[in-house]
Amino acid sequence: MVEDLNNLMMGFSVVMQPYNLMVVVVGLILGIIVGVLPGLGGANGVAILIPIVVTMPATSGMIFLCMIYWGALYGGSITSILFNIPGEPWAVAATFDGYPMAKGGQPGKALVLAFLAHGAGVIVGVVVLTFFAPILAEFALRFGPAEVFAVMMLTFSAFVGLGGKSPLKTVTAILFGFILASVGMDIVSGQLRMTYGTFVLMGGFHFIVAVIGLFGLGEIFLTVEEGLKVEGIKVWIGLKDIRDGMKEIIRYPKALIMGTLIGCWMGFKPGGATPASFMAYGFCKQASANAAEFGKGVPAGIIAPEAAAHAAGTSATIPMITLGIPGSPTMAVIMGGLMIFGLQPGPMLFVEHKDFVWGLIASTWVGNVLGFFVVLAFAPIFASILRVRFAIFMPLIIYVCAIGAYAVNNRMMDVYYMLMFGVLGYLFKKLDYPIAPMVLALVLGDMAEQSMRQAMIIGHGSPLVFFTLPLALPLMVAAIIIFFWPVIAPWKAKLFAKKA
Amino acid sequence: MRKAEIWVSLAFMLLGVIVIADSIRLGFMWGRTGPASGFFPFYLAVGMVISSVIVFFNAFTLYKKEGAGKPLMPPGALKSILWVVIPSAAMVMLMEFVGLHIAAALFLGFYMRAVGKIGWTTTLLVGIIAPLSLYITFDKLFLIPLPQGLWGGYILRF
Repeated sequence: MVEDLNNLMMGFSVVMQPYNLMVVVVGLILGIIVGVLPGLGGANGVAILIPIVVTMPATSGMIFLCMIYWGALYGGSITSILFNIPGEPWAVAATFDGYPMAKGGQPGKALVLAFLAHGAGVIVGVVVLTFFAPILAEFALRFGPAEVFAVMMLTFSAFVGLGGKSPLKTVTAILFGFILASVGMDIVSGQLRMTYGTFVLMGGFHFIVAVIGLFGLGEIFLTVEEGLKVEGIKVWIGLKDIRDGMKEIIRYPKALIMGTLIGCWMGFKPGGATPASFMAYGFCKQASANAAEFGKGVPAGIIAPEAAAHAAGTSATIPMITLGIPGSPTMAVIMGGLMIFGLQPGPMLFVEHKDFVWGLIASTWVGNVLGFFVVLAFAPIFASILRVRFAIFMPLIIYVCAIGAYAVNNRMMDVYYMLMFGVLGYLFKKLDYPIAPMVLALVLGDMAEQSMRQAMIIGHGSPLVFFTLPLALPLMVAAIIIFFWPVIAPWKAKLFAKKA
Repeated sequence: MRKAEIWVSLAFMLLGVIVIADSIRLGFMWGRTGPASGFFPFYLAVGMVISSVIVFFNAFTLYKKEGAGKPLMPPGALKSILWVVIPSAAMVMLMEFVGLHIAAALFLGFYMRAVGKIGWTTTLLVGIIAPLSLYITFDKLFLIPLPQGLWGGYILRF
């Protein structure tokens, strides 16, 4: 504990260097802009800006990427409350009550409530991050290939069993992602795979290109199809709004605590922030005495999902830096940035790159506190971005996407891939194939395959190795139960119904 | 919608079969140094074929029972999407010849003027300032060379 605090102080000294502080502010502002723009979100915002980061030192670069993420979280709630357009999937739940409240003549109060709830959620999330991550990392140091593979199985099972989409389609999407990852050179034997004698396939598919296409372009095609109608509410946050918001949030401790706890818990699991915000909203509505008022602009309906989304966003960092398994698509892209710097995410980071890890954790503290004041002061300015005509910023987004896709590998082919993935992302969204697990599979593909093959070698070719090692067994069992949860859940319900 | 569902699951099946074919070539059993190269992709592809076959049958039975269902896109949407897809594809093709920034400037100008019906002043301002500032940021400040195409280097000479 004391050691952690010492380390945290060291981290602060890293963040407080003038250059890093500048990176924090620039990253936050860019992140908020990315979050406000429809069609761009945390994941592709980070992906597009990765090329810039390459020129920075590792710690500053990672702080920059994380700041874009925090900024995007804030930006997403501005648009969902003022325009009823969620810039991010996890901001959807905030529109249910945020937009009615803003429409009802209290846009300033709605925003302040959302930002305060953010702040509270993040503080709890970051406390958990500071004190829990080192423990988990120390535990994870004992993991061998079999355990690493088991953790990944657990991650993907969570998508299938708890993701809420069609389990079969989720499986298909995950396997597709893994297959895309295996195209090109085999990392173990050096053989060429799935290239079918062609030259272009030899380089494989880089997941950042896929992210830019799937999330960025795919989202734009969807927005074009739906036709963007922006009906914004003009807003100016005054001191009175801030006072009102603070008074109001104290009156709803239950919503705040519930949201935060759900968020911290769900953030651990992949795809956490979005289900967390919906769950928090649902729970809060059920527990509330005046559930009928929900959806008409009640403060609790803003506080709970916002606190949950941000707490989840923060605690999603934990599995990324301790286990090397990102908790959300955005974290997956940030992890990609980590790999570009030659840092292998995982427990060894805590041992070998202390200054880096703690600088990152400290930057989460600094960034979120700063972010709170930045959005509070400039929310109206950021909101005005959305009033720019769609026909102006849409081609600009495509342009920036193309830059991002090219700069990953300096390959022209990647720009074509990006277009392809864009169409694919549109189809996936329309047909309800989940994109996030596919991207995650593409990111983790090499690592998963490598650890599986190593484990098989340890087990002399017997897959039983995953079920005999004491640490791997519970993980695998949990993974299997969660995987078959869609089958088990109705069966269990029937069983209990008979008893009753 | 269901037709698209069926086509996409068929595409996944086909892809799975292609991958299986290559995995068999590489060997999907135990090799000299542990599992062979095709081991992992083989089982992935088998899984993908199985799950997409089930998706296919689900969609197919629903299709036979209830017809095609809602169309994949609302009417008129295809046109507006194509108005984005085709120009951006054209931009990518142009990149091969005149480089990224010039192609993007043309794309910006075309889309804003022809599709967005935005006034000439704004179109020209955005179409020139945006690529210029991005060119300076990436190529000059961060020294990340973006594609110049065949002739781009001759046009942008600063």
